[in-house]
Amino acid sequence: MALTITCPICGKRNGYEFRYGGEEKGPRPDEKDLTPESWCDYVHMNKCVAGVQQEWWFHRDGCGSWFTIFRDTTTNLEKETPEAKE
Amino acid sequence: MMNRFNHLPTLKIDTSDKIPFTYKGKTYYGTKGDTIATALYANGVRIYARSLKYHRPRGLYSMDGECSNTMMEVNGIPNVRTETTFLKPGIVVKEQNVKGSAENDFLGFIDKMDWAMPAGFYYDTMHKPAKIWPVAMKQIRKAAGIGKLSPDHHMPGKYDEIFPTCDVCVIGGGPAGMTAALAAAQKGLRVILMEARPWLGGHFEYRTSEYINRQTHHERAVQLAKEVEKTDNIRVFTHTANVGAYNNNLITGFQVGKESDVFTERYIEIRANSVVVATGCIERPLLFENNERPGVMQAGCALRLANTYGMLPGKTAVFSIGHDLGLETAVSLHDLGMSVPVIADIREDGQDPALLKAVLDRKITILKGWVATEAHGGKQVKKVTVKSVDATVSKTYDCDVLVASAGFTPLTGPLVVNQAKLTYDNHTNFFLPTDLPKKMHAAGSLLGFENAQSIEASGLLAGLKAAFDCENCSIAELGEAKKAMEDLPGPARGTKLVTAPVKGRKTFICFDEDTSIKNIKQSIDKGFDVPELIKRFSGAGLGPGQGGIPGHNLPLFTAKYQALPDIKIRPTTVRPPLVPTFIATYAGTNHTMFKRTPMDEMQRKDGGIFRNIGVWQRARYFSKDFTCKKEIENVRNNVGMLDGSTLGKFRIHGPDALNSLQRVYVSDLSKIKEGRVKYTAMCNDDGCVIDDGVVVKLGENDYYFSTSTGRAGQTIEWIRYHTRYDNWDFALVNLTDAMGVINLSGPNARKVLEKVVDIDVSNEGFGFSEYKEFTIADTIPVKAMRLGFVGELSYELHVPASYMKSLWLMLKEAGKEFKIQNFGVEAQNVLRMEKCHVILGQESEQRTNLLDIGMGFLWSRKKTGYKTVGVAALAQAEKDNTRLKLVGFKMENNGRAPKDGALIVDDRVRGHVCTARNSFSLNEAVGMALVEADMSKIGTRLAFYEDECNGELIYGTVVETPFYDPEGKRMKM
Repeated sequence: MALTITCPICGKRNGYEFRYGGEEKGPRPDEKDLTPESWCDYVHMNKCVAGVQQEWWFHRDGCGSWFTIFRDTTTNLEKETPEAKE
Repeated sequence: MMNRFNHLPTLKIDTSDKIPFTYKGKTYYGTKGDTIATALYANGVRIYARSLKYHRPRGLYSMDGECSNTMMEVNGIPNVRTETTFLKPGIVVKEQNVKGSAENDFLGFIDKMDWAMPAGFYYDTMHKPAKIWPVAMKQIRKAAGIGKLSPDHHMPGKYDEIFPTCDVCVIGGGPAGMTAALAAAQKGLRVILMEARPWLGGHFEYRTSEYINRQTHHERAVQLAKEVEKTDNIRVFTHTANVGAYNNNLITGFQVGKESDVFTERYIEIRANSVVVATGCIERPLLFENNERPGVMQAGCALRLANTYGMLPGKTAVFSIGHDLGLETAVSLHDLGMSVPVIADIREDGQDPALLKAVLDRKITILKGWVATEAHGGKQVKKVTVKSVDATVSKTYDCDVLVASAGFTPLTGPLVVNQAKLTYDNHTNFFLPTDLPKKMHAAGSLLGFENAQSIEASGLLAGLKAAFDCENCSIAELGEAKKAMEDLPGPARGTKLVTAPVKGRKTFICFDEDTSIKNIKQSIDKGFDVPELIKRFSGAGLGPGQGGIPGHNLPLFTAKYQALPDIKIRPTTVRPPLVPTFIATYAGTNHTMFKRTPMDEMQRKDGGIFRNIGVWQRARYFSKDFTCKKEIENVRNNVGMLDGSTLGKFRIHGPDALNSLQRVYVSDLSKIKEGRVKYTAMCNDDGCVIDDGVVVKLGENDYYFSTSTGRAGQTIEWIRYHTRYDNWDFALVNLTDAMGVINLSGPNARKVLEKVVDIDVSNEGFGFSEYKEFTIADTIPVKAMRLGFVGELSYELHVPASYMKSLWLMLKEAGKEFKIQNFGVEAQNVLRMEKCHVILGQESEQRTNLLDIGMGFLWSRKKTGYKTVGVAALAQAEKDNTRLKLVGFKMENNGRAPKDGALIVDDRVRGHVCTARNSFSLNEAVGMALVEADMSKIGTRLAFYEDECNGELIYGTVVETPFYDPEGKRMKM
């Protein structure tokens, strides 16, 4: 609940305004050579890191854009860069 | 009623304004500015309630509501903290947990039964044999507890919430807090200052002793408060208890409304860049026999009764204290006319010399190194035994008030809930916060400062640190403030004494839960050796006071009893809310929010019965006959009109508009022709169908499409999510609220429409599945589609919301000769069910994919290269023959329809009914169901198990679909 998120368009806003869109996993895999397993991995498997991860957020109650941020999952705080330390 | 002072500068009451209230059926009078507790005290009430377990009499103790002693029922609301709740005219106050009255409680004898109730006796007794427990529990519940809430109680008042932001949030409006707020504000920052009491000033507010150069503490408090109030960039919330603090400096509080406020209480959630915690101290209770007997109170409580509320706590006060505030209180009360025979000071030395002199000047006996060991008197204090700390010498004094306080306890709640650690400090005898959270600073007496200048200097430093966090203060300035502090006295030495030399049978460490020192010893002897365990076994600190009374005494005593060499034991964890709060305040305003369509008012006039459907309110029926027979028959035989404005409506255009639609829709949309309507569906990545609707091509890379009502809110998010890596160039506009939809359906629909429009609406001119744009009366722009959701000749007219009423009236007028009628959502539901047209969410659930509901024909397998959402999963699911299938069924022997959601069973559950109704068009009961694949063959017998059917199944048979007009002639006519 204490999370704030920096939207690239609207700036730093209350976390309530956003919807989580999952970990950053890269673009959708090509349809060629797609196996059911690799597809399932792409859609459902997550790294669930304890630490800083890149993830997608949607500014639902704002500009309506999708963007990524870095967030430390152990403190639930946004980070400016993946390397940012306390 | 006692005479009240009316000349003290510190008073917060207006003795000329009397306020009537009811207590025990009688009318009493308080004065304006009284809390409920002080009004009762002024009327001679000393016993406010009986305790939870032993029914011991309880009275005024701390004045800030740290314990349940003075919780009472006010206007039917139980557990109101009367010490912090203002008196209002006409309120009805009742005592709690008594049989009889607070003075004469028939259950008072339980106090003598404590030998039978050692710590944890609930766990140890009354469970063998098992059957006595329900009986015992009933009796215990009758005898123990605090307030009772009537199940019918309706909470009066208005509750609200606000979400302010600021640069610096200061918690605590005492001298340190105000100084910090001023320091930050002078740096140009926006500051919020929150204070639990109804006014600023903290412990300076009610003290008339000298601050500096003949200025009193009170005058200094007033001076600071004035400065704060005239500073525009400080927003002050008084009577606002801090209840939580979270990382990222999210601070929450509950504000009690003033008479002039529109809210009774409100929730405040503050986002601050930096936070200063200057919550100060409460007094640490002194532990001795009968230490909670009415008449025993803390120094601040006695002093505030006199200075703030204008009454002396009694005639004769004995003091047993361990800090200078106690000496100051004794001097003040003496000067106001109380007799003070003796002060037992725990400290052998270290008192403020000026205060000592003042005490001696007044010929008050001071016993250094002495402490009260027992309060005598059945219901109120009558006598006190004081002993030297080594318990060798003892004296007894008559009195009606015993001011008792061992020392101070810092209010570290906001720091601790935000993950600061507490470490025991030998000098102050405080558990002090260490490892402060980022951008959170502590200041004032909670750090142990007692000297007024030191307190303010620490506030200044914290305020500048907060400004530094906001990049509005230089390191040099910080250095100066730090240096200024070095020249002032540091934290004061705190007393170490926890308990007077007593056995502790009636020495209460926790008032709320009636936990005595003896109970703590019993718990430790049983092996519960740390406060967290002792708390849960003995109950100490579990009460509504959130451990305010036992907070620091518990770990100190635990360490002492176990003879630990150093105090590594910590106080128990505190959690939000830090003070008791109404659930009503948490709930806030009761928002029953919904959207209305442009036709709302006119449909209500026509007798529409509305229901909440998703975010909307829609007309579900147009008569009390919920089978909608007339509405249905009118559509089948004549013509009806439905408001379809809740449908999601979007326009997408730009170079990549088609690409985006190809990504989310399973059909190949590159093939739609202008002027044609394409019905299609969206799936999620698992192939499960989430939305259906129509797409119309308006021009090159310019499309208009509709979604189901429930999906309208998420469609933009969905399309942008699935194209987020592509950098595609398209614009997506949500027209849902901008456009309204009228569905004109029935065999006479054409006759009605042609009266209103100029275009050719014959079957040749405007055929099935075609799209036309035209204007009505040269004014109303219409996007019209010929669809057949209800299975009849049908036109869907999309018009700007502002023209909806006009068009509606025109159609109604034109349809008069055909007896056009409204039909509602339920009639539409039956009509389309007879045609076996699905509604997603009704014929599908979360796991239902496109193939299960027989809509695989929408999926274009030839369309490749678009990475269409869901097709990878569909390709895989196609090979799976274990999935559910959507089938149509009719009931056997002309039976009634099963309820929606009824189960289909044989020896186990095999599926469920999606929608089933008694069809007037077909004269039999039909429906659709999702069943396991092997039961989907035509002719399969289905057994329906309904909720509360008592095992009586009803039966149906799988039949061909659709039920009504299988060739689809009627919608194409």
